[in-house]
Amino acid sequence: MNKNIILYAALLIFGLAAPFIFPAFKVQLSILCVLIVLALTWNIQGGEMGYNTFGNILFYGLGMYLCASVQVGMFFPLAEWTESGGEKTFVHTPTQFFQGMAMGLIVAAVIPTIVAGLIGYSILGLRGHYFAICTLGLGVAAGEISGGIEIIGAGQGFTTPPFPDVGSLEARGEFFYFLSFMAVVLTFITVKSIYSTRFKLILNAIRDNEDKAEAMGIQTMKYKIIGWMISAFFCGLAGGIMGGLVGYIDSTDVAFDGREMGVFMVLMAILGGKGTLWGPVIGATVFHIFKEGFWTFFLGWQYVALGVLIVVIVIYFPEGIMGWLREKYPERFGEVVDEADRKAQVELK
Amino acid sequence: MKINKIILSFISALALLLSTSVTSFAKVVGDKIILGSAISLTGKYSSNGVHTQNGYNMAVDRINSMGGVKVGGKTYKFEIIYYDDESNPKRAAQLAERLISQDGVEFMLGPYSSGLTKAIAPVTEKYGVPMVEANGASRSLFTKGYKYLFAVLAPANLYLDVAIDLAVEKNGGKPVKIAQAFEQDAFSQDVRLGILEAAERTGSKIIIDDKLPKELNDMAATLAKVKAVKPDVLVVSGHTKGALTAIRQIAEMKVDVPMLAMTHCDAAKLSKQHGKNSEYALCASQWHKTLTYKDKFFGDGMKYAADFEKEFKYDPPYQAAESSAALLVFKDAFERANSFDKKKVRDALAATNMQTFYGNIKFAPGGQNVDKPMVLFQVMCNADGSKCENKVVAPTKWASAKLIHPIPSWSER
Repeated sequence: MNKNIILYAALLIFGLAAPFIFPAFKVQLSILCVLIVLALTWNIQGGEMGYNTFGNILFYGLGMYLCASVQVGMFFPLAEWTESGGEKTFVHTPTQFFQGMAMGLIVAAVIPTIVAGLIGYSILGLRGHYFAICTLGLGVAAGEISGGIEIIGAGQGFTTPPFPDVGSLEARGEFFYFLSFMAVVLTFITVKSIYSTRFKLILNAIRDNEDKAEAMGIQTMKYKIIGWMISAFFCGLAGGIMGGLVGYIDSTDVAFDGREMGVFMVLMAILGGKGTLWGPVIGATVFHIFKEGFWTFFLGWQYVALGVLIVVIVIYFPEGIMGWLREKYPERFGEVVDEADRKAQVELK
Repeated sequence: MKINKIILSFISALALLLSTSVTSFAKVVGDKIILGSAISLTGKYSSNGVHTQNGYNMAVDRINSMGGVKVGGKTYKFEIIYYDDESNPKRAAQLAERLISQDGVEFMLGPYSSGLTKAIAPVTEKYGVPMVEANGASRSLFTKGYKYLFAVLAPANLYLDVAIDLAVEKNGGKPVKIAQAFEQDAFSQDVRLGILEAAERTGSKIIIDDKLPKELNDMAATLAKVKAVKPDVLVVSGHTKGALTAIRQIAEMKVDVPMLAMTHCDAAKLSKQHGKNSEYALCASQWHKTLTYKDKFFGDGMKYAADFEKEFKYDPPYQAAESSAALLVFKDAFERANSFDKKKVRDALAATNMQTFYGNIKFAPGGQNVDKPMVLFQVMCNADGSKCENKVVAPTKWASAKLIHPIPSWSER
């Protein structure tokens, strides 16, 4: 237990100090935080519950648009802000900006949660591939629909309010870093605490055999919906932060970016080890570093490298990094291994 | 819980990695002025991204070999750091941040497309980094009050409104029926605005107003409607893919329309790729090689086109020409500012008033180039259709051929 506290304290200190130790990397670190949130929440469905969703991007995009709309709409007429051709320009004062952002983030988290509840009620009855395909459609449809809604900029995109001038160039980076770091901490604590309850066991039961779980008297539908709502809450939050961080929202390329973010969140969770608490965190970190590295040093080849990475993961680490470690050093994971058992295993191989 | 150890060591490794990978260039190293640019080398804008990059590179080589940039009595050479923005605005904004805060770049060249420029502009603005961009034409870029953004091109709403005027003129001054289809992106939607305004001005009616998806490969539904309602003008805009898709399907479906107005015909190499099928398409262009502007680096348009062809093996689309012009603007501004101070360079840029092979360049307070009109060219082929060329038909000052109107029907072609 002691060691745990040391670890968490070290992580927290590292997280808080990071933007000052690596001032030039604030944006990348903020994005890393967002990626971790997405991977952690995807893991609730994909890892613990066995429902491979491609639909979490819906909540992320929704949160992004909502946060920016609220932030603008609270103080200025939104339709004029996003009018094609952008004839009018409004400037947020610092107070307006931060108030708007706070309110925007609340809305960005709450509305997707409600949407998840409603959609979940209608489609969580689907299983396996059917669920995956259906959620894939959700993200694509949302992208196309939002690209036609004039009040949020339609195909023109939506420029989020510029960060107000508070005297320091570094302020924007620091603000968004700490916002996203807080989101990670909040998500991690929530996920960790629900994983230590019966809730996680129910999710696992659904994954392992949903019919049996139902036969045991578990209202699987209820838990599936709650699980998805939790994911939606944090995805929406992450989306809201990301919108402000990027500064420009485009319907299919930034908000409902199923092709990139939607796939990345799955990939990160699998890379780190789905169905574990730390897997998505490690997966997201390794993935981000890998991608940034290739981006810099092998310009134009990053997607080829990504493809190779996916192949390597699937062939050599089907259980992800955590799964691989667990198999290799089970005792470090607190599992008691009988020497005779291990020998028997080796012989079997 | 030994796992903690693993995680801790993992984190320290990460910290080590991050701290060693800071590579900082400065804006000016030795005799080099380092410019930064995020370019679409992959993704849906990759072909135009490459045109842009080729344009930049060509101008860098030319300026460097012709004496470089003289600032404070010393000669400097241009160098560009490129990153691939994957045609994604999110990535573009990150890369701009990275170029400025990690690589120490203090002068930026624009990316390809309005959407990506819209994503980058807030970043360059925040750091007060002057950006000369050559491929972001959306009007909304110039109404945001950006002080460090300069575009060598005319805004997107001016691309095709001339075509509507032409159609009205050919219709005996009477209003026309317009069918239009635009990709859902910042640039094309702005072209649409221009058409809406032209329609209102001329009293014309818009009878089809479709939106096309990004990554567009099929617009048969729109064309079926066009076949049914017979408009006087069909306007299509959707970057390179839009132009290629439109021509391919219009030919396949034998859609007859008196006037077909488009964008990106030259970037899509329409006349080469589709030959006779693309004949009579009317295209908006920022530049054409037959225009008579001049400068001392590239001579005139014809010479630029010949040099470009020699180096890159294809006829330069206007995207390449305007990108080259961006470098000329930067060189001129550095020399007039006689300093590498960002603010001074910005002020010098704002005072730009010059002629390049690509056209006159003078910036309005919003940052757009107000001194260079758009041209319209029409794809015209010789009798047997073996050779097709783009010929300027409007405005009359530069016209090298007469507009063919109406387009002969497919049964006669």
